[in-house]
Amino acid sequence: MNEFVERLVDLRWPSAVKPAYDVVIIGGGGHGISTAYYLATRHGITNVAVLEKSYIGSGNSGRNTTIIRANYGIPEAVRFYQRSVDLYESLEAETGRDVMHHTKGLLWIAHSEAGVRQERARAEVNTAFGARTEYVSPRQIQEICPQLDMTGQGQWPIYGASYHPAGASARHDRVVWAYAEGAMRLGVDIHQHTSVTGLQKSGDRIVGVETTAGPISAGIVLSAVGGHVTAIAAMAGVRLPIRTHQLQAFVTNRYAHTFAPIVASSGLGVYASQTAKGEMLIGAEIDRAPAYAYDAGHQFIRSCAFRSIALLPFLRDLKLLRQWTGVCDMSTDYSPVMGFTGAPGFLVTTGWGTWGFKAIPVGGEQMAALIATGRTPELIAPFSLDRFANDRTMADRGSAGTH
Amino acid sequence: MHAPKPLTATRVAATCAALDSASWPAGAIVLRTAPDEAIVLVPTKDIEPGLIADPHAIVEIESSLCGIWLDADDAHDLLERECDWETPSARPAFAQGAVAGLPVKLWFEHDRVLFVVSAVFANDFMERCR
Amino acid sequence: MSKESVLAHLWQQQGDPTRGGSVCAAGDCQSCLATIDGIAYTRMCRTPWRDGMHVEPHPHGDQLPALESRGNRAATIARTMHCDVVVIGQGSAGLAAAAEARALGRDVVTLDTGDGQDAIGIYPGPLVVARTDAGMWHLYPRIEIVVATGAAEIQPVVPGNDLRGLVTARAAESLSAAGIDLGRIVAVGTPPREVACTVAVGALVRFEASATDASRVGAVIARDDRGVEQRHVCDTVSLGLGLAPRDALLRMARGTNVHGVGDVLRAPDLPPCPTAGIVCACLGVTVDDLRSVHARGFHELELVKRATLAGTGPCQGAACVPHVRAFLAAQGAALQPPFTARPLTRQITLGEVAAGAHHVATPRTALDAEHRALGAQMERLGGWWRPWHYGDVDAEYHAVRTAVSLCDVSTLGKMQVSGPGAVALLEHLYPVPIVSLKPGRSRYVLLLDERGYVIDDGMVCRDGETRFTLTFTSGGSTFAELWIRDWAESLNADVRIMNQTTSLGAINVTGPRATKLLALAGVTTPPAFLHHDTLDVAGICCRVFRLSFTGEVSYELHHAAADSVVLWRRLMELGRDLGIRPHGLEALMKLRLEKGHVIVGQDTDFDSTPRRLNHEWAVRLEKPAFVGRHAVIRTNAIPLDRQLCGFEMDGIAPAEGATIWHRDAFAGYITSATWSPTMRRSVMLGWLHLSNGELPTIITIDGRPARRVATPFYDPEGARARA
Repeated sequence: MNEFVERLVDLRWPSAVKPAYDVVIIGGGGHGISTAYYLATRHGITNVAVLEKSYIGSGNSGRNTTIIRANYGIPEAVRFYQRSVDLYESLEAETGRDVMHHTKGLLWIAHSEAGVRQERARAEVNTAFGARTEYVSPRQIQEICPQLDMTGQGQWPIYGASYHPAGASARHDRVVWAYAEGAMRLGVDIHQHTSVTGLQKSGDRIVGVETTAGPISAGIVLSAVGGHVTAIAAMAGVRLPIRTHQLQAFVTNRYAHTFAPIVASSGLGVYASQTAKGEMLIGAEIDRAPAYAYDAGHQFIRSCAFRSIALLPFLRDLKLLRQWTGVCDMSTDYSPVMGFTGAPGFLVTTGWGTWGFKAIPVGGEQMAALIATGRTPELIAPFSLDRFANDRTMADRGSAGTH
Repeated sequence: MHAPKPLTATRVAATCAALDSASWPAGAIVLRTAPDEAIVLVPTKDIEPGLIADPHAIVEIESSLCGIWLDADDAHDLLERECDWETPSARPAFAQGAVAGLPVKLWFEHDRVLFVVSAVFANDFMERCR
Repeated sequence: MSKESVLAHLWQQQGDPTRGGSVCAAGDCQSCLATIDGIAYTRMCRTPWRDGMHVEPHPHGDQLPALESRGNRAATIARTMHCDVVVIGQGSAGLAAAAEARALGRDVVTLDTGDGQDAIGIYPGPLVVARTDAGMWHLYPRIEIVVATGAAEIQPVVPGNDLRGLVTARAAESLSAAGIDLGRIVAVGTPPREVACTVAVGALVRFEASATDASRVGAVIARDDRGVEQRHVCDTVSLGLGLAPRDALLRMARGTNVHGVGDVLRAPDLPPCPTAGIVCACLGVTVDDLRSVHARGFHELELVKRATLAGTGPCQGAACVPHVRAFLAAQGAALQPPFTARPLTRQITLGEVAAGAHHVATPRTALDAEHRALGAQMERLGGWWRPWHYGDVDAEYHAVRTAVSLCDVSTLGKMQVSGPGAVALLEHLYPVPIVSLKPGRSRYVLLLDERGYVIDDGMVCRDGETRFTLTFTSGGSTFAELWIRDWAESLNADVRIMNQTTSLGAINVTGPRATKLLALAGVTTPPAFLHHDTLDVAGICCRVFRLSFTGEVSYELHHAAADSVVLWRRLMELGRDLGIRPHGLEALMKLRLEKGHVIVGQDTDFDSTPRRLNHEWAVRLEKPAFVGRHAVIRTNAIPLDRQLCGFEMDGIAPAEGATIWHRDAFAGYITSATWSPTMRRSVMLGWLHLSNGELPTIITIDGRPARRVATPFYDPEGARARA
C-alpha cells in the first residue's frame, strides 16, 4: 500500500444533526476544527458541532502554502505564532498522526540597504519575544541555500537575510484531518455539506443557526469561516473591518529532494519551498483588488514565475503542474480578529489573511479556552475586535508579508 | 533599438472643455493623456496665452519625455511581443498603457508609431525592447 | 501528428521507449515522459523529433528528476494577439468551427495540437494561453472561444496495467501509421481502425508479463460472454475502453463566451468499478489505496484525491479520475463531478510561462549617470534608484555640517494644484490652515487618512491666490496623487492638478555655505526661510524653496528635468572652493535624525496618529473640517498608549528595530538610530510605551542605559537652518 495512504487518519462521521449543541462552529476548516478539538481535549466540552458547507478543509485550509513561522514584526504576533510553532512541533506526538511536519528553516532575503534594515529589525524583535531569528551574511545564506543566485540575475543582489530556523511546513489537509479525527473520537460532530443560512436570535443574543439540515440551537456560535465572514457577521449585526483578497500560488512537478529551506524575498515578492512530495511550491503577494473568487490569473503566474527564476535560476526548466487561488480575509491592520463581537453568544475567529494555516493550532487552542472560560486569554487579548474602536490596532508591517 | 531621444513638449492641465476647444499650433502632435491633461509636442513658448480658454490652466515645460519613431511593421512586432492590450486601429490615434512593463504613450500615424516614455524609464525601455 | 514525434522516432529506431503503463500517444497519459534536452517531464508523443535531440528516460520508481536547469537556453518569446475567435483543436469539429467563423468574416486564430500548439489554460480576459514551438501565444478573442479538444481514451485499471506493450486503440492506429511494428496485437474493447489485430471478446481482467521480458506484456486475460477467462497471447494490447471528454478548458472558462464542439461535449464513458491494479500511475495509487481511504471516511472525490494524491501528478487526473469516480459510485454514493478545472491543462516550464514578463522597473532620476560617475553605490529606496553614498559617508556628513553639499531630491513627489477651488480642496485635505498661507510662503504638512493616521508628509507652497505647489515623500507621491484626485472628484472641486514628480528635477543645496554658493550662481537675494521664489540659478530657471531637512541652510532647486545635469555640474564647479561634495541617503539619514525629523514609513506605522507621532502641533483641530479630523478627535479622547520619542545614549548605535525595556518590561522599539558625529553619542527615534500613564525617562536599549530626550538633538532652536 502507498505509504502516503497507510498513515492516514480514520474519520468517523456523525449520523445525524442534533437539534442542539453547546457550541456550534461555522466552518470546517483548520481553525473551526482545531477549536473543536481543543474544546474536547482540553476542556471536556464535546457537545460541539462543526458545520461545513462543502468537505472539511475545502477552503483556504486546503489552498495555502503550508508554511509555519513566527518571525513577525510586533511582540504580540511573535508570541502568538511562536506558540503555534511549538504546538505544531508536538502535533504528531499528540495526535499520533503523521501530518508530515518538517522543520526547514526560513530565509527572508534582503536585496537593498532598506531590506537589510528590515531583516535586522525582524531578528531583534523575534529574539526578544522567543522566536529565534538571526541576521545572516551572504556567505551563510549560500551555505543554507546553495541554489540561490546571489546576484539575483544581476538585478536583485542578495545583501543578507534573516534566518528563522523554526520555519517549517506540514501537509495542510493532514493537519485538518488529524484535528478532525481527534475531535470526532471524543464526540464532536462534524457535519459536511451543511450550510448555515441564518442565525437565530433571542433579543440581542445569538442562540442558534439555521442550516440546510434544519435549525440548530447553540449556547455559543463561533464563525470560523473564510472568505464570507463579513456576510455571516452581518447576520449577527456585527460589522467587521475585513476585506477579502485573492492569493495565488503554484506548484511544479515532483523533483528530487534537494531544496531544504523556505526562501522568501520581499523585494521580489515571492517565496519558495519544496514539498514533501518533491514539488516546488511558489507563492506571491496578495492581489490588491478585493475579490471572493477562486479564479486563477495568468498575469500572476507569469510575473511570479519570472521573479522566482531571478532568485532561483534552476526553476526555469521545471514544469509547472498546477496553479490555484485562495482568498484572504484581511483586517485593516493585517492582524487576526478573535473573540467576542459585541453580539452576545456570537464569536469570530477571522482576519486570517496570509497567516491562517500557521495559526491553526494556537488559534484553536486559544478560542477553545475563551469559549470554555468565557474570558479572553492573555495571548489573544491584543487581537480582539474592540481594538479598532479603542485605537489599539496591531499594525504589523512584518505580517503584511506574503506567506 | 536606438535610445529614445528627448522630446520637446509642453504639459497642460486644464478643464476638459478648454482642452477640447484649444486651437493647438498647426501640425502639433497632441497626446490627450487624460480628460483634463494634454501633452503637446511643441515648445512651451508656442502655447500662447489665450490658446487655452481656462484662466486656471497649468502650462509647464515637459522636458522629461523621450520618444522614438518606429515604422509600422517594427512597431507591430514590438507591440506583439511587449504589449498585452489591444491598440487602436484608427489613424492617427493615441493610446497609453504598459509596454514592456513600463508606462508608455503611443502615437499612431499611418506608417509609423511614436513611442513616448518618461526619461526615468528610458534605459529600461531600451534594454527591454532590444 | 503532422511532424514525427520523439515517441514515434525512438520507437522506430530502437523499439518501445516507454517505461510501462498504457500509452495514449495523445498527450493524455504519463507513460511516455522523458527528459528531453534537459527538461524533465516532457511527453515524447507531443515533442517533434529533431536530430541531435538528447532524450533520457524518466527515472523509475521512487526516483525523481534532479532539481536543476542545464546550460543556456534562449529566452522563450511571447506574442500577444487580438482576434475575433480562437478555435482550440483542429480535428474535424475544430476545422469546421474555424471555417464557419471565417465565413462570417471573423478573424480566427486556430490552435492545432498536431502542430505543437497546445492551449494550456483559459484565464479571465478572456485570455487563451498556448504553448507553441515558436514560443508562447497570448490570445485575446473579442467574440468567442471554441473548444474542440475532443476526448481522451480511458486507460485500463486491472492488474498488470503497468507493463509495457499496452497502447490505446488510437495509439495503435497512429503508431502503426508511423510504420512502427507492434507485433501481435490483441484488441480489447473497440479495436483500432486499419490495424491488423485479433479481437479479445469480453471484459478486460488482467495483463500478464511476457515469459522473456518481465517488464512487457505477454498475454491479456479477458472474461468472455459466458464468464470464462480467456488468455490471449500477444506482443501488444490495443485498448478501446471508452472516451472521456477533454473538457477542462471548457470548464475552466465558465462565465466567458466559450462553447465546445465535437467530442468534447460527449458524456464521459464510465469504466467498470476497478477491483485491482494501479489507478493513478503518476503517484502510484492502487485500487487497494482507494478502498483503504474509503474505509477511513474519505468519501468525496476531492477528499480521496487529497488523501491518496491520485490525480495530482503530471496528467492532472486525466487517467485516474474516470476510475475513481466509478469506484466511488460503486460504493453507493451519487456519481461525483470531476475535479475543478484549473490551469494548466498541458505542462510548460516556468521559463515558458514567464516569457515576456518583466520586473517592476525602478525609475532613475536625470542625475543617475552623474551619481554613478561619482562612484555612488546606488540603492532602491522609496521606489527609486538613489545614491546611498559616494564612498565616504563621514566626509559627506561633514560637508553638510561645515561647508556645502548637494543632494539629488528629484524623487520627491511634486504636484501643482490650480483653480478657484484650490484653497477649499487643500483646506479639506490638510490639517493646517491653508487660506492664511501667503503667496511665496511654504508650510510643513501631514497628510491624514479618514482614520486619522498619518499617510504622508510634505510641504504646501502657495504660488498665487489660486495656485499651489505640493510636495510629498518619494515613496508616497503615486498614492498622494490618487488621494488628491479622488478627493477633488468627490468634492467636485474646481481645480486643475498636474503631477510633476518625474517632470521636474530637484537638487538640495545645503550647508552653512549654501547661501554663498547660490550667490556664486548669481542669486543675490535668496528667499527667506519657508519662502520660495522663481530665480535664475547658474543659468537655469529654478523654483527655489528655502526649507531644511538637514538642519543647515538649505535651498531646494526645482527645475525642468532636462536641465538637471547642467545645473548639478555648474553647482559642483562653483562650489569647489567652498568644499562642496554631494551626499547620499546614508549621510542624509544621519543628518535628519540629528534634527529629529520623522520619515513616514520608517518611523511611522500605518496606525500612527499625529498624537502618537508627537506631531499634534501639525494638526489644527479648530479648523472646522479636514480629512481625519473626526478620527483624531475621537482617538485623542482615548488614553495614549505609546509615542514616538527621541532617545540618546553613549556608545555605538543599536540596530534599528532594537527593543526598548523599562524595568525589565518591554517598552517599545527603535525605528531610527545613528551615531552622531557632532553630538558624540548615539541618537535615536523609537516607539515608547507609556508606563502608569507616563513616558519613562530612563530606559534600556540593547542592554545599555539610555535616556528619553526632547528632539531635535541638534540645534534645537533651529538657528542654523534659518541663518
